[in-house]
Amino acid sequence: MSTKSPSPGIVQNASLEDRLYTVKYEDPGESHLDVENPGICTTCHEDACVDVCPAKVWRKDADGTPTIAYENCLECGSCRFACPNENVIWTYPERGAGVTYKKG
Amino acid sequence: MTDSTDNGTESADDQPTRTPPPAQPNYDNTFDAIVVGAGLAGSAAAITMANEDLDVLMIERGAYPGAKNVFGGVMYTPTIRDLVGMDGAPIERYVGQRRYAMLTEEDEIGATVNIGDWHEEPHNDSFTVLRGDFDEWLADQAVEAGATLITETTVTDLIRENGYIVGVETDRPEGALRAPIVVLAEGGNSLVSEGAGLKPAPDRKDVAVAVKEVIEFPGDSAQVIEDRFRLGDEDGAAYHYFGEGAAGKSFGGAFIYTNDDTVSVGLAYRIEDSITQGINPEKRLNEFKSHPAVAPLFKDARTVEYTAKTIPEGGAEAMPKLVHNGALLVGDTAGLVLNNGVHLEGTNMAVESGYHAGKAVVEAFNSIPATERTAGATAAGGQTARADGGMVIPSSHLQSYPDRLEESFVVKNLEHYEWLIHRVTEDKELLFEELPAALADAAAEYFAIDREPKQVHGARAKERVLGTLGGLRGLVKLGWRYRKIVR
Repeated sequence: MSTKSPSPGIVQNASLEDRLYTVKYEDPGESHLDVENPGICTTCHEDACVDVCPAKVWRKDADGTPTIAYENCLECGSCRFACPNENVIWTYPERGAGVTYKKG
Repeated sequence: MTDSTDNGTESADDQPTRTPPPAQPNYDNTFDAIVVGAGLAGSAAAITMANEDLDVLMIERGAYPGAKNVFGGVMYTPTIRDLVGMDGAPIERYVGQRRYAMLTEEDEIGATVNIGDWHEEPHNDSFTVLRGDFDEWLADQAVEAGATLITETTVTDLIRENGYIVGVETDRPEGALRAPIVVLAEGGNSLVSEGAGLKPAPDRKDVAVAVKEVIEFPGDSAQVIEDRFRLGDEDGAAYHYFGEGAAGKSFGGAFIYTNDDTVSVGLAYRIEDSITQGINPEKRLNEFKSHPAVAPLFKDARTVEYTAKTIPEGGAEAMPKLVHNGALLVGDTAGLVLNNGVHLEGTNMAVESGYHAGKAVVEAFNSIPATERTAGATAAGGQTARADGGMVIPSSHLQSYPDRLEESFVVKNLEHYEWLIHRVTEDKELLFEELPAALADAAAEYFAIDREPKQVHGARAKERVLGTLGGLRGLVKLGWRYRKIVR
């Protein structure tokens, strides 16, 4: 069968940035996510956190240090389950901060 | 029921310049039960307890109940109907039409189920809803029943004394709140329960990641939905998709549910597959929406909200211990979600579990004489477990919750499909990739129009399918492997 490339732009605001922009968000001021031991991340080649995250919260520098764009976080928790080293520190954003879903 | 710390008395040594602190009710020790999370399980538990005159406090970390909650989109409502009725429930559409389809990269084979009875009340108790509205409504029912709700308050830990859960720590100033019972209804990402050692962290093989978009159409959005999905004013569609074109090479699937004037579209699959197959949920959702059989449904649409959540799918085997001294686990926190491929249920199980947990708490309180319910009395034979002498309830007094749940559809369904989920996991490649592709090929062959006789095409179509399954023997073996499906 032929491999037609999927037609992009079916939905008008299809980029991740556009979609994250649809989510009401209040910055708690500090990250509710962290890693227990950054050294574990630099030697990790699985990068499960990066693969699974639906909001590009997790990225890795050239040296393997994770950077956490916590303000993108949709609070699904998948990174915490995914990490093979149980290295993700996950706390609920406090006092109602973080995402507020209007529809859910 | 609740006392305020602001008692209004002024003593002589009050500093005249000091502004008094804002009146903040002190909820410590004033409630019979604290419910952590005002989602569906939490509100169902709160309603059940408040209906029996227990003083219940619901603590919600979001700005309002539902603000942190996500699900696919279809709510099954028999228990809610019994509990509070459906008058005023914010439903979007009743489900009048279901469609199950397999997707290869560019083919679709599906079947639509449209049952006449579904168009009559009570509509098979199946409705599309949006959680922002629905959860707030259900929590309102709890408040009307007498429960107290506080929002924007995060439970950070449980208080444990002498082996009993005796309350919660919150992020409020002086935020410790004590009560004889804590119902943990904090969802699948259950940090409090895990942190307090009430349940182990689930394995990533047992947890699915889900993403969803709510989509709107230009112009009269409801009319566009009714035209594209062939619907009337009030009926809705629930489409489930399997195969590589839906959730990639994974144990999972995609869905489309029509709301009143929006459509929910999303997918869910095991976190393990995300890693081993390198599938990112956000990219996968874009690919699903761009599938040639799906894309026309969303032409010119606009995403109005993008959401994500994790789903505990470990089934009956992965269920944690449901009762502890002073605490009960309900809903997603208890791992009560059924995904056997055809049935995707969780919110109804959450409500059912909250109801049974609430009943068990009421029974536990009723088993303790009213005269002994004051501070100092205990349910543990006169021995005071709490440092402040308050009442405690041992897990043995809560056993009717797991017992009732075992007898309910919740655990019966989970146990019934346990084998199926194991089989499907083992046969993942065959069922999600090879078989849909073979069926699509066979269909293409069967319906091919050329100058060869239909018999020839029919024979080739059969070969395609049997080839994938390992011949007739393979088909029989597969049938045997899945024989219990119709039991």
